[in-house]
Amino acid sequence: MFSRRDMLRSAGTGFGLLALADLLAAAEAKPADPLAPKKPHFPAKAKRVIFLFMHGGPSHVDTFDHKPKLTEDDGKPLPFPKPRVVSGETGNLLASPWKFKRYGQSGATVSELFPHLSTAVDDLCFIKSMHGSNSRHGGALLELHTGSDTFVRPSMGSWVTYGLGTENRDLPGFVTICPSLSHGGVNNYSSAFLPAVYQGTPLGNAGISSDKATVPFIAGTTPRTQQRRELDLLGEMDSERLAKLGPDPALEGRIQSFEMAFRMQSAAPEVQDLSKETEETKALYGLNDPVTAGFGRQCLMARRFAEAGVRFVQCSHSYHWDQHGDLRKGHGRNALAVDKPITALLIDLKRRGLLKDTLVVWGGEFGRTPTAQGKDGRDHHPHAFTYWLAGGGVKAGTSYGTTDEYGFYAATDKVHFHDLHATMLHLLGLDHTKLTYRHAGRDFRLTDVHGEVVKGVLA
Amino acid sequence: MQRFLSAVCLLAFAAEGRAAPADEQFEKVVRPLLLNKCVGCHGETKQKGDLRLDSLEAMLKGGESGPALVPGKPEQSLIVTAVRHNEALKMPPKEKLPAAEIAALAAWVKAGAVWPDAKPVVPAPAKPAAVRTFTAEEKAFWAFQPVRRPKVPDAKGANAIDAFLAEGLKAKGLAQAPTADKRALVRRLTFDLTGLPPTAAEVEAFESDTSPDAWDKLVDRLLASPAYGEKWGRRWLDVARYADSNGMDENLAHGNAWRYRDYVVRSFNADKPFDQFVKEQIAGDLLPGGTAQERADRLTATGFLVIGPKMLAEDDPMKMRMDIIDEQLDTLGQAFLGLTLGCARCHDHKFDPITAADYYALAGMFYSTKSMRSYGVVAQWHERPVGSMEGSAKLAEYEKKRTAASDAVRAAEKRLRDAVSARLDAERKRAAVYAEAGLQLARRRDPLRLAVADPSKGEVKGSVLVEAENYTRGNALKLTDGYGADIGVIINSGKLPNVAEYDIEVPADGTYQIALRYAAQTARPTALSVGGKVVRSDAAGEVTGSWNPDGQKWFAEAVVPLKKGKATVRLECAGPFPHFDKLALLPLPKEQAAAVGPTAEEIAKEKLLLLPLVRAWAKAAEKWKDKPPAADELAKLAADANGPFKRTPELDAAVDAALTADAKKAKDELAAVEKSKPAVDEAMAVEDDAKPQHVRVHLRGNHLTLGAEVPRRFPVIVAGEKQAPITKGSGRLELAEWVASKDNPLTARVMANRVWLGHFGTGLVRTPDNFGRLGERPTHPELLDYLASELVASGWSVKHLHRLIVKSAAYRMGTAYDADKFRADPENRAYWRFNRRRLDAEELRDGMLAVAGILDRTPGGTLLPTKNRAYVNSTGGRGAVDFSSPRRSIYLPVIRSGLFDAFQANDFPDPSTPAGLRTQTTIPAQALFHLNSAVADQSAEAFAKSLLGAPGDDAARVREAFRRTYARSPTATETDRVLKFLAASDVSTDAKKLKAWQSLCRVLLSSAEFAFVE
Repeated sequence: MFSRRDMLRSAGTGFGLLALADLLAAAEAKPADPLAPKKPHFPAKAKRVIFLFMHGGPSHVDTFDHKPKLTEDDGKPLPFPKPRVVSGETGNLLASPWKFKRYGQSGATVSELFPHLSTAVDDLCFIKSMHGSNSRHGGALLELHTGSDTFVRPSMGSWVTYGLGTENRDLPGFVTICPSLSHGGVNNYSSAFLPAVYQGTPLGNAGISSDKATVPFIAGTTPRTQQRRELDLLGEMDSERLAKLGPDPALEGRIQSFEMAFRMQSAAPEVQDLSKETEETKALYGLNDPVTAGFGRQCLMARRFAEAGVRFVQCSHSYHWDQHGDLRKGHGRNALAVDKPITALLIDLKRRGLLKDTLVVWGGEFGRTPTAQGKDGRDHHPHAFTYWLAGGGVKAGTSYGTTDEYGFYAATDKVHFHDLHATMLHLLGLDHTKLTYRHAGRDFRLTDVHGEVVKGVLA
Repeated sequence: MQRFLSAVCLLAFAAEGRAAPADEQFEKVVRPLLLNKCVGCHGETKQKGDLRLDSLEAMLKGGESGPALVPGKPEQSLIVTAVRHNEALKMPPKEKLPAAEIAALAAWVKAGAVWPDAKPVVPAPAKPAAVRTFTAEEKAFWAFQPVRRPKVPDAKGANAIDAFLAEGLKAKGLAQAPTADKRALVRRLTFDLTGLPPTAAEVEAFESDTSPDAWDKLVDRLLASPAYGEKWGRRWLDVARYADSNGMDENLAHGNAWRYRDYVVRSFNADKPFDQFVKEQIAGDLLPGGTAQERADRLTATGFLVIGPKMLAEDDPMKMRMDIIDEQLDTLGQAFLGLTLGCARCHDHKFDPITAADYYALAGMFYSTKSMRSYGVVAQWHERPVGSMEGSAKLAEYEKKRTAASDAVRAAEKRLRDAVSARLDAERKRAAVYAEAGLQLARRRDPLRLAVADPSKGEVKGSVLVEAENYTRGNALKLTDGYGADIGVIINSGKLPNVAEYDIEVPADGTYQIALRYAAQTARPTALSVGGKVVRSDAAGEVTGSWNPDGQKWFAEAVVPLKKGKATVRLECAGPFPHFDKLALLPLPKEQAAAVGPTAEEIAKEKLLLLPLVRAWAKAAEKWKDKPPAADELAKLAADANGPFKRTPELDAAVDAALTADAKKAKDELAAVEKSKPAVDEAMAVEDDAKPQHVRVHLRGNHLTLGAEVPRRFPVIVAGEKQAPITKGSGRLELAEWVASKDNPLTARVMANRVWLGHFGTGLVRTPDNFGRLGERPTHPELLDYLASELVASGWSVKHLHRLIVKSAAYRMGTAYDADKFRADPENRAYWRFNRRRLDAEELRDGMLAVAGILDRTPGGTLLPTKNRAYVNSTGGRGAVDFSSPRRSIYLPVIRSGLFDAFQANDFPDPSTPAGLRTQTTIPAQALFHLNSAVADQSAEAFAKSLLGAPGDDAARVREAFRRTYARSPTATETDRVLKFLAASDVSTDAKKLKAWQSLCRVLLSSAEFAFVE
């Protein structure tokens, strides 16, 4: 009737299997609910992830990777060979228009672009030696989100949900707020060949304001009371049918999934409803200021989803950071929009005791060239850029890895996206070499055949 | 070897020549560097990449990627390029060496790579390329054995399929479940063969047909329905990862993919022999003969190779090319052979006897095939014309028209050119007059300097300042933000010519300078008239740097005498205006006014000169100092083709307005003809490259580390070691013949298994796309071979297989649960009952629309609104793709990374990878689809309306609703329950009544009985 795999795939709800439990005990050793919370491979430091994605590629040398030599040699040509493959012409070195200062006890260097975040640097662990393989948005986004810039593969959120399940069955396990529809689009949060239960649930997309971003089909035209009556009738009919046909987990699962959907219709909007937050909190996230309100709402929703037990939440500051020109204005505007909300998220998670087991990750799909494009711009640059981590299991107040004197190549302790993925999984208690799924003739991993856990960022 | 020997010679030379300094450098920097940074992974204990770096000999010998160094040549030495970290191979992987160390290493290699205590290096005998030999177990693997038609077990008149199944059942002590009831059977077969529910009438007709061949007749009727090809074609499209957009990084519309989809549907409906179907998709472009329609079909079929997802913005064209080939091979392997060939890209397949050499032997065929028009970012996939005869005739007619129009243009241009050049010849003789006129005009420069630096300040007494946006008459757009932020400007409003006219009160008689303030990023000369007379036809013709307020500048444009009272100043531009901010009339002092000479227009008129030429000469005269150049200089200037006698469009018009107009008219006509070009039908398709070539093995799948070249051939484990060499063409035709051969052990088995899977929900091999070691073994190997041999023996008729399968007793079993049997075989591997299945995404939607009576059965064509190769969406925009059409689901666009959400929720497979088996999940999104989606709303509403529109009482309507949804009448309990539901609803108005019935219909269409096939 159904194989073990069918069973895993079909019984997506975790309800109503009791009738079959005895029968299946012999044949089925694995848990039937693919989204039930699962034990990690080893004790986890973090239970969930909030990924703050800066789509477009923020410039590392203008934000966190201070390069005095770049200022000194402003206008001079790059004194060493450029990469074999570049997306545009390589200009001369361009000094950062922003001043850097040291902050906190850790003495982290932060540019003027992030005045709020500079007060929280002792909670952060910078990785200055990030590098990727692809210098175009699409390829780089896919590599960042799925580990492959060549083929369609499951996204990291899907792998995490596959590995750990979720803690709140009234909500999706993996949520992505206002994701981009281009540059890989859905593939950046899709489950690819993993079962669809691990697919990221998009709330709106990059073209929809974050206050209008909702779960697909979450609201319809039928009034709630009428819908309740419909479900009662449906439940009666389906139960009668199930009783007539005998035990069938697919039928049972279906009956329960309608109830669950009904609950989700209230649960998801409830988490998204920010009106009950205090005025202080709203102000903290910048909800009262149109400049910060958009991303502020995303960050506050992320906290609420994290609180509610969602495993993986992504916030996207979509495709704003691509300053081929107009760097001063563009990066200035972008930083202004995210700096306060991000800092608020860190403060808020911390005071609610959530930061200690939440992994917060910040970064883009690549950095930007330390060399100029035009007079006031920088090109895509996957050869060196900065990420920062905060929260569960992360060595706070540190900086890991370095770039060369101009910030052109990652130089010491290089960290590839694969290494970042391995490290994220490690913090969640998952061994990236053991989190596998069999498909098309082999066991696939998020990190493919690559990836090493970056020990230097672990607390 | 050549390179190796020369390296040794160089070494000997270097060792003799300059030992001391090189020694020192080596000992001080290079040896410690190698020891500390490299030998850990490439030394005695570990030899990553089969490489050691602890002796010169080892370095010259190299590893998987070839020699690590070439003495004297740092650029060709992997050890140098790797430490520089700017190529694919980066070492050390986690850390770039300090610049000084990199430089020292490069210098050492450049100096000849002197290794002081190195023993003379003797070249080791070249290791022959390792030949993978297959183990006996690999050779004996079931899937690679020839298909042998098994003897049908004796089972006394039972269908052969039941006879084969009986053995397995017996072994487990099981027996087939009783036959399902007729209603369940007709619903099962109709959904299985057509993807649609049977109508109530069809169910009743079958129920009442008691003839012995009732089932056979039903099978024949459904196989002959065009809906059959729509259902089974869609299944093939799953395998072919069909999509109407590229997905991946650049989601461009596959504007012509639908032709391939329609080809697939047609092929299934026509029961095209499956071997032919295979051949057409691999090498349809190379198959000889056939009618024009057949040739077009075959070209279209090769779309199979082109519709895959591609990284179209990959900056490295070689990588893009190899990735596309990999995608083609991976799909081809899984679709036709059940082989995961993609696994052998980086190394020999870990589980199956497929070597990297096998992979690159096949890759050579696709390397020799043109699948792409270009690899430059954003790359373009290949398409080929597949026009019909009618299309060709239209095209020929168009070409004729276009040639005529283009001839007319050439003739008109020649007449004009001749006239102008004759006139220019005449004018050239008057070069001295032009020079004098030019000089006279150039002298006007001084008075034409702005009378005051910033006229806005009103420093000149008696001046008049006018804001451009305060025009009296005109059509320009007034803008106070953006380009006009803080100042207010006028710009083009879309109506040409742009016009702005000002009635200005002149305070006193006098000579006035007219000044304009404007911003322009490109020159937009504008005619300036006063009192209806053009005083300057090229006013405001400067470029100020930008369109923005910060680009605004003042210019003096003309000097005119004005009387006290109203003056009308007019600006007119054939194209869009520059961004005008202000006008000023500035009275000139008497002496300055007196210095103003005649205008260009006046000079031209007086001396009978051509105005554009006067202007050109004035421009030239700006460089002279009050005196025209000497005669020989002047002659040179006059003869210069790019000098002031240069031909310009303005000159053409001045010389002969009629001929100029003729030429323009001819050009306009040509443009109109070209616009009428009939669309040429193109399909995504491939063709052979002019120069077929072999490909070298890519070590670890990297195109930058190449191994030995492999001739184009088929995988050895299946095709054997002795293969006829492929001598001409890509080899795709040979590949197609080999795949579609009746002797290929995989092709027929893989397809027979797909057909079985389509009927029973599980394959005889439960991993339909993987017949390798990691795939499952067949549950019934003999039955599989029986079906495969039947497929071949019937002339590869897929419909024959359907008939065979659905006429078995196994297919007609009921789904009833049986605790004992379940305990013995919970996965139903022995087929003791029929597998209940849920409708797939398309069956669910089509079924809902069909029951509601709103399904549009029009076949074929495209519903994709996006232009071919245009983006189907942007970062934040869903684009124009619309899924609201009531057509069958197979005809809705399949947008990669933007699937119709009703499909997404209901387990439609990711259209980026081949999927012979759809996963089945139960997720809340499916329930939300039933509760809240537009599809569910529309179906329920239409269903309710049609029920309410029919005569009879509510009980009769409920009966009709059940008949249409479930093909049965409701029980008394059910009728009661539903009537109670309706009675408890508010039905006080027609609209409310409709809502109540809509609720009921939604419930019926959401119910398990509708959503599952028994």
